[in-house]
Amino acid sequence: MTALFFAAPVLSQRSFSATYDSSRQVKVQGIVTRIDWVTPNVFFFIDVRDATGTVTNWAVDIGNPIELERDGWKRSTLRIGDAVAVEGVPARNEARQASAKSVVLTRTGKRLFAPPTTRRAATSPVPAPRWPDGQIRLGPPPGKTGYWGSASTKVLVENTATKIPMSDDGLLVNIADADKVAPFLPWAKAVYEYRQRRFLRDDPYSRCVPAGGPRQFQMPNGFQFIEQKELGRILVFLGGGNRNWRVIFMDGRPLGTAAEAVPSYYGFSVGRWEKDTLIVESLGYNEKFWLTSSGLPHTEALHLTERFTRSDLNTLKYEVTVEDPRTYTRPWTGSWTIQWVPDQDIQEYFCEDNSDFVR
Amino acid sequence: MERRAFYLFCLFSCLAFVVPVFAQEGHPLTGTWSGDWGPTPTQRNHITLVMSWDGKNVTGTINPGPDAIQIGTAALDVTNWTVRIEADGKDQSGKAVHISAEGKIDDLSSAHRKLSGTWTQGTTKGDFRISRD
Repeated sequence: MTALFFAAPVLSQRSFSATYDSSRQVKVQGIVTRIDWVTPNVFFFIDVRDATGTVTNWAVDIGNPIELERDGWKRSTLRIGDAVAVEGVPARNEARQASAKSVVLTRTGKRLFAPPTTRRAATSPVPAPRWPDGQIRLGPPPGKTGYWGSASTKVLVENTATKIPMSDDGLLVNIADADKVAPFLPWAKAVYEYRQRRFLRDDPYSRCVPAGGPRQFQMPNGFQFIEQKELGRILVFLGGGNRNWRVIFMDGRPLGTAAEAVPSYYGFSVGRWEKDTLIVESLGYNEKFWLTSSGLPHTEALHLTERFTRSDLNTLKYEVTVEDPRTYTRPWTGSWTIQWVPDQDIQEYFCEDNSDFVR
Repeated sequence: MERRAFYLFCLFSCLAFVVPVFAQEGHPLTGTWSGDWGPTPTQRNHITLVMSWDGKNVTGTINPGPDAIQIGTAALDVTNWTVRIEADGKDQSGKAVHISAEGKIDDLSSAHRKLSGTWTQGTTKGDFRISRD
């Protein structure tokens, strides 16, 4: 019992690069024994029999359930007892675990969990909804539901940078490109490279630490704005953590200084509208999180200026200027877009959900 | 009954020692470090170092309190994660003393990363081992 209390924290949501080795491939066939349709990643398990008759159980990662459901796949797509053939990327360690690139139902030859071959035809943009006073609404149109879902990227790099070869979660193909990511001070560049060389495995998010700073707007489960005009604030409900929330004060109170603020994951934020763009300034961040999955460091001197522009119903442009003179040589800006998910609400997501089988 | 009481005692004893392991992900030297130094494995002196990074220099204090010694320079070599610390203060008799320490950071990504190496205080040479609280 004593040992249990000193057990290391369970790594419940490691980044793709930390978990899987993209340079290798694996093929396995077997019988489905279990299906865990949970966020952030769905896993199913198969018993695989080798040539000697020995049976081993493999965990197969098929991605985020929201994205799977958006592509038309359901929890009932696969059933316990089905025989499947899986091709994918194996885990970096010796675990019998793979991220599936292809899942084929052996009985019918049907490919499962693949994105649809034909996407919906693009339609002309619908104007962004507005409040009666003409201000942009960041939430759903009146009488509707919805939330902000997938970001166009999971990494943060300086806008002036040319296209830098890296994995989806920010693992550089060439470590020498670190200088192109952001204007690091020497210590920060060294720390960033150290994290990269360790395949991002030290990501605090993998220990269920909140995705603070800009990263909160890159999580697969999305987020929602609750505009409380009568209270002079905007709440941000975050789907990509332990159902966390953040407050943006819109009542004109001063920002103050970082030295006065209680350090936190989401900082102290004040916002204002400039035409159709919400500008939010924040400080008071703690040093317990990475700015994005790729391992960008910061200090408590961090000051973020975020610009939210809803250009149409379905598109939110997010731009963030990072100012931290203890980490970067100058302020720098990165940006991405986020897509609206209509007629749905954020799904429940607790970080530890995957913990019992992430090995 | 006695066995149950023993298990409960173990449970609460363990809980009392559970501490959150949330790393400090900023500058590697920032924070409070504690441990000891000494000329031999048995002759040890407790030390506490409090260091912070202001964007240009690492500043800090050795043994904060009435006998505090301000760190003169603390240099981090990021090519090999070695640290060199120089400080001037007074010993317990009030005599001026120079401290020079050189060590290497281990387990950089840990909340409780370690720093160890050589420690010279006045004419006494030894080693030091500290870890981040």
